[in-house]
Amino acid sequence: MSEDASRETAQPYHWIGRNVTKPDALEKALGATEYVGDMVVPGMLHAKILWAGTPHAVIRNIDTREAARAPGVAAVLTAADVPGTNRYGLAVLDQRALADDKVRSAGDALALVAAEDEEAAEEAVAKIKVDLEPLRPILTYKDALDPDGPPIHEGGNVFQHTTVRKGDLEQGIAESDVIVEDSYHTHRMDHVPMEPEAGLAYVDPSGVLNILVGTQYPYRDRRQIAPALDLPMNKVRVVQAPIGGGFGRKDDITAEIHVGLLALKTRRPVRLVYTREESLIANTKRHPMAMSFRTGARADGRLTFLDGDIYGDTGAGISLGAYVIKKAGIHATGPYDVPNIRVDTYTLYTNNLVSGAMRGFGVMQAAVAHESQMDQLAHKLGMSPLEFRIKNCLKPGLASSTGQLMNEGCGIEATLQRIKDYMNARDLRFKRSQAAS
Amino acid sequence: MAIRKGLGIGSMYYGIGYGFSRADIGSAEIEMAEDGTTTVYSGACDMGQGVMTVVTQVAAEELGIEPEQIRVVAADTGSTPDAGPTSGSRATFVQGVAVQNAARELREEILDMASRMLECPRENLDVHRGEVCEVGTDRPMVSVGKVAHQLHFHGRRAAAWGWHDNTTQDVDPETSQGDAYATYGWATQLAEVEVDTETGRVRLTKLVSATDAGKAINPVAVEGQIEGGAAMGLGYGLYEQHILENGVPRTASLAFYLVPTAMDVPDIECEIVEVPDPRGPFGAKGVAEPATIPTTPAILNAIYDAIGIRITETPITPERVFFAIQEAKSRGEFSDD
Repeated sequence: MSEDASRETAQPYHWIGRNVTKPDALEKALGATEYVGDMVVPGMLHAKILWAGTPHAVIRNIDTREAARAPGVAAVLTAADVPGTNRYGLAVLDQRALADDKVRSAGDALALVAAEDEEAAEEAVAKIKVDLEPLRPILTYKDALDPDGPPIHEGGNVFQHTTVRKGDLEQGIAESDVIVEDSYHTHRMDHVPMEPEAGLAYVDPSGVLNILVGTQYPYRDRRQIAPALDLPMNKVRVVQAPIGGGFGRKDDITAEIHVGLLALKTRRPVRLVYTREESLIANTKRHPMAMSFRTGARADGRLTFLDGDIYGDTGAGISLGAYVIKKAGIHATGPYDVPNIRVDTYTLYTNNLVSGAMRGFGVMQAAVAHESQMDQLAHKLGMSPLEFRIKNCLKPGLASSTGQLMNEGCGIEATLQRIKDYMNARDLRFKRSQAAS
Repeated sequence: MAIRKGLGIGSMYYGIGYGFSRADIGSAEIEMAEDGTTTVYSGACDMGQGVMTVVTQVAAEELGIEPEQIRVVAADTGSTPDAGPTSGSRATFVQGVAVQNAARELREEILDMASRMLECPRENLDVHRGEVCEVGTDRPMVSVGKVAHQLHFHGRRAAAWGWHDNTTQDVDPETSQGDAYATYGWATQLAEVEVDTETGRVRLTKLVSATDAGKAINPVAVEGQIEGGAAMGLGYGLYEQHILENGVPRTASLAFYLVPTAMDVPDIECEIVEVPDPRGPFGAKGVAEPATIPTTPAILNAIYDAIGIRITETPITPERVFFAIQEAKSRGEFSDD
């Protein structure tokens, strides 16, 4: 904190750069904040969801009659009860609030129950009878790339192919004194926000559907909720409730359409709070990716080329996946000056859980590959991994993989230098290369 | 126990904002009541990281009033304007400028009215800590509260609207060439690991995170982002794997899906780097994702430094490291001493 103090005195601002206390710090520390799961409204019903639990199937029938007769049940709804399009999605409308023709992932919702309490809702969910005809699931990159595989959506399972082309790849290869080639595989990750998905909806006396929800963007929620439920947009109000983290997954529709639909049908307030287990089954995850990279450098340590392929498993819905994987492609070089580039990315539909936005947004995966490649090259060249990065990093006047000229605010060298200073001050050294300095 | 230590580096850059021709906007309204207390209607969601605090500090700085005088109403289609999503490490960078624009406009109204009240040229006046002063002095002439009261009393505007468009054009469809993002975040981390060569277990024992904030508007909040990012990066690298079998989750419980606990997160040294970016508010840019991305690569490279074996698949479970060591042994590329 001594550094902070010196910075604060040196700067011309009154409030910028100061540790002003967060306005909600005290209520959070005292546990007084009311999250959606704490909110209770008079007459409120509790919602539960029947999840598909299987990756790919034709829906023959969903029989809700017995569930609807169960004690305390106010509504049992399937896709047939949705008044609007029933569709949502951040890039394309390929997700259904309630599955209609097919199950496309184990995290698909098949039916909704609203009841007087959570137990009654759970019991009713158990009474819904589902008749599914299993289809061959698309589960791997290879399955998804097979043109003869069953399409999950119309238009095939390769949703997007992007290409990064810069310089002359062959020349880059020819100029290289060392080349490193490897494949990297990253896994599916859940965001695990402290607060699972939750929403509370009610129709107010003026006929406006109000939805309180842990969200990252209420206006985009409204844009998706209104057509899905056949409401004019100005009759939908979305309020961000106090939120226990999102990390990208609450960019997407979570509880909004489900609680909205139940509130419209029952004309009573409805609250839906996922269990942790439901949160792990449903909504978006981090994309697994398979990446093959070939990277070269000259004997003097200058990078010459990157030649790479990236395959991303976006699951049964695009969500933001097409942008995630495209972003991975244009960040595949890392923060370095690479003159010659060929990178191809593929966004693949599978019957796995939907992958979407998650803190790092494709660059998390790409960095696993580009940083491993950088170290492998540094070792082959007998250079310190730190010096190798400092030599190759983007600086004002150099251009990124997309040809964007760097100017102000290009901070990579400063972060590398800070680590170098840290290591030198403590005499820290890499075991398998030269000293940090 | 056969413990080997290693050090590794991970660096990254990250395009801040939305890119790809997608709307990337911020907007806010700001309103001053008769007593000078001020409300900012800000469309940006606070995820707990502190964008409401950033909005408060930006408005306080521009208006020249105390943060305690400001309340933020956030993220409600019924009362706040559309400020885009809180994602892509964009909230401070984009919404910060929108709030700055709104506050500057309101400040002009205040100074204009103060100039009439004091019969003093507008350009000679400034606002500090809730008081209108003569430029270059701290001597209070009239409080902002009194000026606000006059604005309301005379039916003058005591509110303003701020907008900021950070939308960037999509890259070329064939080559991906173009100015993809308005700016980039930058970060480098140093990881120190211990690898148990008998069990394959990897422990992160220290992490140094040098993250470029452009300008840290609230340094403690930036440290919070850096520490949280490192913990999430550590979870990605070593523990958290959502396993599906035939498309069905097999880890749908925290008994099987392992998140890092306080016992797993080491001492994290936050090195806030500040290379000002003129496109952000007071030079600031987002740090959420930059603080997360380098951790796993730094761990992977530290493992190589420790045992001379490169792991290319995540998460880096004890099994994966154990079998990689066994394979290296069978090739004569690893010895226990």
